[in-house]
Formats: sequence, C-alpha cells, structure tokens
Amino acid sequence: MPADFDKGAYPEPPRQTPVVDKQTALPNPALILSKLFYYSVDLPVTTFRGVVDNIRAKNRSVYYHQKFRRVPDLTECQEGDYTCYYEAEMQWRRDYKVDQEIVKVVQERLRACQQREGGSYQQNCAKEIQQFNETTRNFQLRYGDLGAYASGRKCLMKQKERMMAAQA
Amino acid sequence: MVAMSLLRAAAAFTARLSPLKSGNNAANLLTRTLPRTDKVAVRWGHGKKMFVVKATDFYDRRFLRLLQYYILLTGIPVAVIVTCVNVFIGEAELVETPEGYEPEYWEYYKHPISRWIARTFYDSPVKDYEKMMAAIQIEKEKADLRLTQLEVRRQMRQKGDGPWFQVETLNKELIDNSPKATPDN
Repeated sequence: MPADFDKGAYPEPPRQTPVVDKQTALPNPALILSKLFYYSVDLPVTTFRGVVDNIRAKNRSVYYHQKFRRVPDLTECQEGDYTCYYEAEMQWRRDYKVDQEIVKVVQERLRACQQREGGSYQQNCAKEIQQFNETTRNFQLRYGDLGAYASGRKCLMKQKERMMAAQA
Repeated sequence: MVAMSLLRAAAAFTARLSPLKSGNNAANLLTRTLPRTDKVAVRWGHGKKMFVVKATDFYDRRFLRLLQYYILLTGIPVAVIVTCVNVFIGEAELVETPEGYEPEYWEYYKHPISRWIARTFYDSPVKDYEKMMAAIQIEKEKADLRLTQLEVRRQMRQKGDGPWFQVETLNKELIDNSPKATPDN
C-alpha cells in the first residue's frame, strides 16, 4: 500500500462513535446499511487489491528522489560566462517549481483544516491561515508578475527593483 | 331507407365532382363497398410494413463505423497493454537513496511505462544538460572569435604593421633602369 499521509500536518478529528446502547429489539438500520456497504463495496475492492498486489509482488521496483547539487547563482557568474548563466537559469527554474509545490502544499493544508473545522475554521485554523498568507505573500513578491517567459534574470531585476523601492 | 337514399345522393354527388376516379362510374356507384383498411389480410405481427421516406444516412453511418474501426484498431491493443502493465508490473515505490549508490536516470520515474520510455528512447537528463552546455560553449567561442577578429581588423587597418590590409607593390626587378634612347621612354 502507498505511504500514508503526514498525520501531524493533517490531524484527524477525535472519533465520535457513540457507545451502543440497544433498548429495542428492532434492527438498527444504520448497522444494516453499513454491513451492506461493507459486503458489497469494501470487501470486493479490498480482495481485488490483495489479488493484484500478490501478482505485483514479484516485480517490485523502486524509484528515488533526485537531489541536485547547488551551483553558483546568477549574481556569482562572470559577465559573458554563458555556461554559468545556463546553470544558474536551470537552478532557478528548479527552485521556481519547488516553490510552486510548496505553495500548493500550504494551500492544501489550509483547505483540509477548513474542511475539518467546519464553521469555526477562522478561529481554529489561525496557524494555517497565517502560514498560508505569509507563503503566498512571499511567493507573490518574489515570482509575482514575471509572466510566462519568466527567467532568473527577470527575477533578479525584480529583486533589484524591490530593493530600490525599499530604500527609497 | 332514407339514410340509404341520402348516402346514394352523396355518392352520386362525389361521382359528379370527380368522374375520372376509378370507383366513381355508374356501374359500381351503388354496389361498391368502401374498403375496410383495418381488416386487411395480414396477421398482426409487427404492424404493417411502412416504407419511410427519409434522407440517406448511409454516408454518416459509414463514417461513424469507419471511425470506430480505426480508433479501436490501435485503441484496444493500447488499452490491453496498459492494463496488463498496471496489473502485472505495478508502479514503483519511493525509497530513500541508499548511501554510495548512484541511481540510473530512469530510476527516478514512478510508472513502469515512463521508466521504459526513459530507458529506451530518451537520453539521460545529465547528458542533455551537458549537450546544451557544449552547444553554449561552442557558440560562446564563436562569438568571442568574431569579436577578436573585428578588433584585430581595426588594429591592423589602423597601425598597418600586420599581415592584413597590405597592398602589393610592383616588383622592383621589373623596372628597367638602363639609359633610354629618347627622354619619353
């Protein structure tokens, strides 16, 4: 089975299953429906998964997470050193993708928190809301209006403009 | 009886209006019977066969049939292959890279078909990167050489002490310095 999600980031709410206290002899329709669902949907799906996993057990393969070495930035390249420019550009593109994924993960956490808490999410998810606001604000500042042809140089120029605006 | 005479009068009137219709001449005006269309001599099977006149749909149905055929010709084998790959060779699991082990470039993909495509057809991304860097290096050297060539031209043209921009003078040995007979020789 694939790895489970991070239980710390997506905490499950406490179970609210009530203690069974049968006072009538009539059958419990909720129990009947749950058993029906179990036998008609859950059990066939789980057995199918078990069968397919047994077939697949012989051809188990693995994949790894690729880690890239850090190379000198655009600011540390000599002028006219185009190979250095290329490496810095590729590194910037990888970092851009990573930052996009970070924003997506933070968004997902906020969404899950809102779903969990229901009506009182503004109070209970304050940490997630603050993290989301901070992350998106920083992302907007750094990569905001660069457009579809964004590049490391344009991002650097945007940073320069930000510094000039901050100084002025 | 009165009704019969009324009917006969009505039949005679319609015969007068359209005398050329087949049942309307005097011989069978009174003795003809109205055709009963509900009691025809067929069994009630699927109803009376009707010839429905409509525009041809032969070409449309042929197009759809051929479309279906050509799509399924490769669609079904592809679907069967992908299903078999997913059932018999499952997707890979993510593990930590073991110490000192350099994974091959196709071992960074999850689905077995992506791994196969990367292994069989594509070059390693490292190789692509290096090819790009080599192309950039060659172009950089070409650009540098062109710039130096322009600078050298400028210098040689200006100073005149280089091999370029030399104008060939006449061969001194071709000049005849012997005294001539007339002054205008």
